[in-house]
Amino acid sequence: MSGDACDPTGRCITCSDEGVPMRVVSLSGEGAVCVDDDGISHEGVAVELVEPVAPGDRVLVHAGVAIG
Amino acid sequence: MSATPTSREQRILEIIDTARSKPRRFRDNQVTLAHGAGGKATRTLIEGLLVPAFSPPDGGTLRALADAGSIAVGGTRLAMTTDSFVVKPLRFPGGSIGELAVNGTVNDLAVSGARPLALSVSLILEEGLESEVLRAEVEAIAQAARAAGVEIVAGDTKVVERGAADGMYICTSGIGALDVRAALAPDSLKPADQVLVSGPVGEHGTAIMLARDQFDLDAEVESDTCSLWPAVDALLDAAGEELHCIRDATRGGAASVLNELARASRVSITVREAAVPISPVVHAAAELLGIDPMYLANEGRLIACVAPQAAARALEALRSVPGCERSAAIGEVRREPPGMVLVETSFGGRRVMDELVGDPLPRIC
Amino acid sequence: MKFVDEFRDAQLGRVLAGEILARVEPERHYKVMEVCGGHTHSIYKYGIDDLLPDNVELVHGPGCPVCVIPMGRVDDGIAVARHDGVIFTCFGDMLRVPGSEYTLLDAKAQGADVRMVYSPLDALRIARSEPDREVVFFAIGFETTAPSTALTLKRAKAEGIKNFSCICNHVTIVPPLRALLESPDMRLDGFIGPGHVCTVVGARPFEFIPADYARPVVISGFEPLDILQSILMILSQLAEGRCEVENQYTRVVPREGNLRALEVLAEVFELRPHFEWRGLGFISQSALKLSSAYRDFDAEERFQVPGVRVADPKACQCGEVLKGVIKPWECKVFGTACTPEHAIGTCMVSPEGACAAYYNFGRFARERTAV
Repeated sequence: MSGDACDPTGRCITCSDEGVPMRVVSLSGEGAVCVDDDGISHEGVAVELVEPVAPGDRVLVHAGVAIG
Repeated sequence: MSATPTSREQRILEIIDTARSKPRRFRDNQVTLAHGAGGKATRTLIEGLLVPAFSPPDGGTLRALADAGSIAVGGTRLAMTTDSFVVKPLRFPGGSIGELAVNGTVNDLAVSGARPLALSVSLILEEGLESEVLRAEVEAIAQAARAAGVEIVAGDTKVVERGAADGMYICTSGIGALDVRAALAPDSLKPADQVLVSGPVGEHGTAIMLARDQFDLDAEVESDTCSLWPAVDALLDAAGEELHCIRDATRGGAASVLNELARASRVSITVREAAVPISPVVHAAAELLGIDPMYLANEGRLIACVAPQAAARALEALRSVPGCERSAAIGEVRREPPGMVLVETSFGGRRVMDELVGDPLPRIC
Repeated sequence: MKFVDEFRDAQLGRVLAGEILARVEPERHYKVMEVCGGHTHSIYKYGIDDLLPDNVELVHGPGCPVCVIPMGRVDDGIAVARHDGVIFTCFGDMLRVPGSEYTLLDAKAQGADVRMVYSPLDALRIARSEPDREVVFFAIGFETTAPSTALTLKRAKAEGIKNFSCICNHVTIVPPLRALLESPDMRLDGFIGPGHVCTVVGARPFEFIPADYARPVVISGFEPLDILQSILMILSQLAEGRCEVENQYTRVVPREGNLRALEVLAEVFELRPHFEWRGLGFISQSALKLSSAYRDFDAEERFQVPGVRVADPKACQCGEVLKGVIKPWECKVFGTACTPEHAIGTCMVSPEGACAAYYNFGRFARERTAV
């Protein structure tokens, strides 16, 4: 049994209160396609909590959901 | 309390140091994926169970925990190593399990200072595996072996029931001739040695991560899998005995290799974060997933520790090898604190780069 | 890349470090708590404490929701994961948290179908694609993460998905802070506020700290310059005798928070009367459970869970370490009964916790002092 919980080499999603700024590219039924500042794209980001959003808007994404 | 706070603190630090230097014991109830991740749990398994069981009481080659063991036959010194490959998915941008299986073993020989000569290949195939997939991997093995200049001299095939393996697993063993120019050992690092890396780090790990498609991320990055013998050959030529150690930074990444070397040589290694070559995509993916790229696996990158007077020569030689153009000097060996790897961050602070505890990603090779 | 790089400029960092040095009174010792695990991580990653004057000490707060989950809750999770047909999903960092006997990783090795997800929405996707299996999500996290769970449950309800449920361990950040502040031996001078929690809840919930306890709070971003600037802002408040909630992270945090997210939280969750925190004991109204409208999705109702409370060993002094009353090595069990391999309290469970950091890197700190 190991006592080590989170990974010291990286952030855990929750404990680090992590949020990634992204730009909305397009919207569909399953959520938005967003790109982060490094140009990596993410599909299915839930945007209900920040509606209305439009392509071009900046959102803060945490655990697959835009929260700000 | 009789002891002053400082002496009490000192005493506690000594207790910790003693506890740490004790030989590890394998006490886990069962094997978890962490035991295969290349970090602390792997070390406990190896040092606590395998080495004591396999080594003669008075030493043995295995205890050195090198990438390859050495044996003397007549007047010739040979290096021997073995490795298994269970990577998922079987094919990924920049390579496949077959190519890895050859390069992985070739590289374990190369970084031990041995010119790779011959390989054996064992295939464990899952019932139902499509012949096309098998054919492609067999071709990948053949091609990688040709490229690395090794002959496949023995092999074996087993088929297991559907579900008992994930497509295919490959085990390769290799034999190489130890180069007379080489005097490499993980415990031979000296203060002031320079640490070189043969190219951008973390590309294999990132390529696998993205190929698994579990992150809904899209970015272009290819595995760096390749034979490292040309790079080792060039380093030996340029630095000879002033080259103290070479390791390939596979599972657990560059950070794990540096920690192993610092511990084995009882020295400290300081890494200059800003000097570590890294491609923008790897940087971005690692940032997003919260993984330090220094812990991401490589399959065609070596770390070399070389005496300061030979460092510039060695770096120049390394950069002249195709695929190693972006080699860099990323840090140096110091005396204190022994056994630890420190990072001078690009922001100007310092921190400890610890051994990997868990596994950000299982089945990377 | 640009967006982020401007907050990582080493030159500006040195300038800020110089300003911080100019702000401190040399005789005074400052203890500043970074509440959030994300800040702890940035501080570690960029070596920020190495840039601070010796008399400014950063104290890691209770802000790691993974590490504060008590052993009994982990045991409950493992019990559910072992049910036939269950696919148990959780964030990867939860896998290694020790229960009374096993971790979820151990349970997985013993045959339970435990899968790591990056979002509760992924767990719901699994439920959709495997309708014959029961999919359980082990929800953890502060107010930053709770909206993701809430939204997922709303979708599950709207779609009428029957094979999805949650073990809710969401916690709230204010009650443990209040518990720390209530303690008479609390020695903290100020707080670096949790930026992304505030994206959801806004700045207002933190106003009780200056109002009732006369300690400054600066809500901070996560880049190294953000953190240095926030520390400078706290020190400036202290030097000028001010005491208020300031927002350093205005580029992301609106003062009122995300009202829609708060509405969703109110719909899906309700406060638990009390919840146990590893190392800190029971704190009232410090956690969330599913509201009656979402009871059908409560895995604790759907499955038999042992629900047995496993007491923290008495000797553990995590609370004192968190309050800054004692140093890790002053704890009775530190380094002997409590080590990273066999952690007792939250400060040792998390590798970024004060005790684990000291255990692993104490020799480095000693070397630094010697230099």
